[in-house]
Amino acid sequence: MEKVRVVIIKSRRALAANGQPEPASMLRMFRKGLEVLTGSSQAEEALRLIFQPAENIGIKINTIGRRAISTYPETAVTLGLWLGKTFGCEDKIIIWDRTNEELKEAGYRLSRSEGSLRIMGTDSYGIGYGSQPVINRSVASLFSKIQAELVDSTISLALLKDHGIAGITGGMKNYFGAIHNPNKYHDSNCDPYLADLFEIDLIKKKHRLTILDALRVQYHRGPAYHPQWNERASQLIFGFDPVAVDVVGWKLIENLRAKKGLPSLSEEKREPTYLQTAENLGLGLARLNNIEIIEEEV
Amino acid sequence: MRRRDFLQRTAAGSGWLLTYNSLRKGQRLLAVEASPAAGLSRVEARYYDRLPDREIKCRLCPRFCQLGDKERGFCGVRENQNGKYYTLVYGQVASYNIDPIEKKPLFHFLPGTMAFSLATAGCNVACKFCQNWEISQMRPEQVQSRYLPPEVVAETAAHYNCPIVAYTYSEPVIFYEFMYDTSLQVRRKGLRNTVITNGFINPEPLAELIKVVEAIKIDLKAYNQDFYTNYVRGELKPVLESIKQIAHSKVWLEIVYLVIPTLNDDPKEIRQMAHWLKTEIGPDYPLHFSRFQPMYLIKNLPPTPLSTLERLRDIALEEGLHYVYLGNVPGHPGENTYCPNCGQLVIERYGYTIKKISLSGNKCRHCHQTIPGVWS
Repeated sequence: MEKVRVVIIKSRRALAANGQPEPASMLRMFRKGLEVLTGSSQAEEALRLIFQPAENIGIKINTIGRRAISTYPETAVTLGLWLGKTFGCEDKIIIWDRTNEELKEAGYRLSRSEGSLRIMGTDSYGIGYGSQPVINRSVASLFSKIQAELVDSTISLALLKDHGIAGITGGMKNYFGAIHNPNKYHDSNCDPYLADLFEIDLIKKKHRLTILDALRVQYHRGPAYHPQWNERASQLIFGFDPVAVDVVGWKLIENLRAKKGLPSLSEEKREPTYLQTAENLGLGLARLNNIEIIEEEV
Repeated sequence: MRRRDFLQRTAAGSGWLLTYNSLRKGQRLLAVEASPAAGLSRVEARYYDRLPDREIKCRLCPRFCQLGDKERGFCGVRENQNGKYYTLVYGQVASYNIDPIEKKPLFHFLPGTMAFSLATAGCNVACKFCQNWEISQMRPEQVQSRYLPPEVVAETAAHYNCPIVAYTYSEPVIFYEFMYDTSLQVRRKGLRNTVITNGFINPEPLAELIKVVEAIKIDLKAYNQDFYTNYVRGELKPVLESIKQIAHSKVWLEIVYLVIPTLNDDPKEIRQMAHWLKTEIGPDYPLHFSRFQPMYLIKNLPPTPLSTLERLRDIALEEGLHYVYLGNVPGHPGENTYCPNCGQLVIERYGYTIKKISLSGNKCRHCHQTIPGVWS
């Protein structure tokens, strides 16, 4: 079996002295990550290999943890602006999550202006959710119209975190923010719900890229913020295979836990089994020996 | 606006908007008009434990959701905020109407009276056949709500001469605090409280609720755990425990069983269920078999054949239950109440309408057999 590639880009300058991401470093990390992932020597060419020029591109972020533990604006906006510049139209790029309030509390400035990057929640005026549930196996949900109607392709720019029920929350679980009822899908470690959700065409066919924000990683007692278990990891993890990227993120969390003398997720009976379920559905590869991990530093 | 006018406007469809618009036009509904805009409430929830690291464990229903900061329970309406648990739907009414009590259905509880009926968003199960999924399966911020605090609910019910307030439509267990406090206000007005629930609640909060309400209708979804697992995402055993707990209290109880073709219509199971009911709570609590209509996620099955309903009713009667009704079949004799002693018709119904009552107090007018229920 051919291995799938997952790229880890580290940077000692990723976070500024104040602990916030440094935009110039973020851009360098994005560029390097996509070059290594695609094998292209030109980051913009890499973007053009992934997205079509006329597409509306959604960047799905995770802001449930507000400022303390959300996808950093410095990260998401840097990516959005770079995409906008590359394709010549910022307003085709939508940075989004569930609610405007959560976005604002995470430090984002909302925008729906023509000609500029759009940043908005599903609860924005005139958006909302579809009116009929989309059904797949164990899941029946209304989809955010941003995911269903406004964007043609998506990047899951997810914050990597330990999760008390799911095991980890990464690029796949980030799409729980695209449906109206994620509270119904946390039983049994979110398995099989997460895989069943991702299998829906509105996600599967639009998803192009996962980038895990692992600049600071909540490796224990997540998804809430607990500074004593939050580690500066200064890395972004890139991959086309949504399952493989999350597996690599899981490995990082396990390594951090082991380093701190904490039990593994399987010992805590919250191993993210949904990743294997996702592999069984053909959504990606869940075994580390099938994943080619390339690490680079910028 | 006169009550009759209000009912005429809301009778067809009883949709939220229709009712909402009707009420808005009502000049005398000042309390409703004056209420602040709806949103998310932030009232501390009852029945939860604080855990280390700002986590909480909810004890309201048998799910026992354990949640980190900023997380919500399965119901979608109770949220951990920095280690404190809040209900987000206190007073946030997503649907309200004036319904005949027969619509709940409660057949042995003040027949022919009207119930001011209300619900918030949210539910602690996820039935694939839910009739009210547009509010029950939503989070409160995803539905249009109106702020009706407990005293306004009680005042509004009294204003429209509704002797009953019904907590219904979605799942009242998940708006427990609002329901409980409203019940106190309703009682102060001399009105009565009814709860239309799935019975998926823990014994402790149910024991407190029983003290402030007069009647409870439980939707028993099936008599096997597999159905609860696959179509309800709940558990049967706690529901059966709730039925016993209510039956052993002073609160009036009725049970509804929605019969879904091929899924929960096995005559053997119905016989077992009827036997269990008779053994555990006696023969006198009404059991309603309701006709299923294709809905929500189950649209591939037909409505329940009338012959199935009739057969299941016969089985329950054979097992010794005294009051077994059919629902959603207007005009069928199975809607009527017959005296278990003399077999005479004592309450004749057509759909939600009472056509004739032949009771003398709480006794059959023909043979003086006591007919259990709350009749006045």
